[in-house]
Amino acid sequence: MKSLLRQTAVLIGLALLPSIGQALYYRDKVSWQTPVAASEMLTLAQARGAADLIWIDARPEEEFERERVPGALLLNEDRWNELLPQVLAIWAPEKRVVVYCSSESCGSSREIAHRLRKEAGLTNVFILEGGWEAWKKEKP
Amino acid sequence: MNATRILFLSAACLSVAATAQAALVWEKTTIELNPTLGAPNAVGVFKYENKGDTPVRFKSAPRTSCGCTVAALQKNEVAPGEKGEITATFNIGDRTGVQMKTITVETDDPQNPTTVLTLKANIAQLLELQPAFVFWQAGEEAKPKTILAKAGKGVTLKNVEVTSSSGDFTAKVEPGAAGQFKINVQPKDTAKPLNATLTVKPDAGSGPAKVYYAAARVMPPGTAKP
Repeated sequence: MKSLLRQTAVLIGLALLPSIGQALYYRDKVSWQTPVAASEMLTLAQARGAADLIWIDARPEEEFERERVPGALLLNEDRWNELLPQVLAIWAPEKRVVVYCSSESCGSSREIAHRLRKEAGLTNVFILEGGWEAWKKEKP
Repeated sequence: MNATRILFLSAACLSVAATAQAALVWEKTTIELNPTLGAPNAVGVFKYENKGDTPVRFKSAPRTSCGCTVAALQKNEVAPGEKGEITATFNIGDRTGVQMKTITVETDDPQNPTTVLTLKANIAQLLELQPAFVFWQAGEEAKPKTILAKAGKGVTLKNVEVTSSSGDFTAKVEPGAAGQFKINVQPKDTAKPLNATLTVKPDAGSGPAKVYYAAARVMPPGTAKP
């Protein structure tokens, strides 16, 4: 019985070797971003028809200038200090702030959402699921 | 049983060996940078060498995870034994704290077609405004509210100068705890909606001149309480 357990353990260990090797070799590819909680996300379906939204475009300025969600305000970390007051000038507690960046994988919308909560003390800040790509694909 | 063990061991060795045969070898795939306070950008140089027997071609320009990072290829093809580098420039803007930006490189090397390079930058902060926004409900007593101006790590603040974009708000500065200043903001009245941008200029002696902004508002009547 002891021998069987030992052999099983050895087999499991050997089977794990390739994955350990891969994990070590590709350690830099492992995402460091913690997933955004579902409660902090807003889907396009939820945004559809909503009148209480303040749209924040967290993409670079040239992309914002080219095309954006109608009525969206530019707020990115390139010029956070300068752009923040224009967002605060229209914010209201009963409104929901929705931040988007280029796609699902971009990180700037979560950074902006985090700073709006932490530095400006805003509540009701959400991230648009799928970002601008999703919006463009399926305009609400 | 021995045959099974040998089989597993062989599979494991083959798998590890396969990933280790990349022709393009990177000196480092992660670079950590500590730019000086106020620096406009942080630059990382990723060096590589083709240790294989055949040339390696970059399939496309490196893709960066953020529009704030630009990566430049030195050459499109790397001959066996040849060395080269990719220079990644991260534009800091108003970013703070630890920033991780990736650069994805694709080559025609079948053993290692994609490499992700990581630029980690620790951005020092000159000043933190906590909070950067104060507001009053319509009809609320027009008492002063305080914005705390905190010096960043390793920064000594001598003074903080604050100006309001509107005469409807006053902003008075007084020293707080070590390295901090209190900015007391007060509306003239709260009967009607008011809005002001506060321009905050920290004086850190020889440090870089940077301007920060905060906002103050009196909300319109009927606005919900947060």
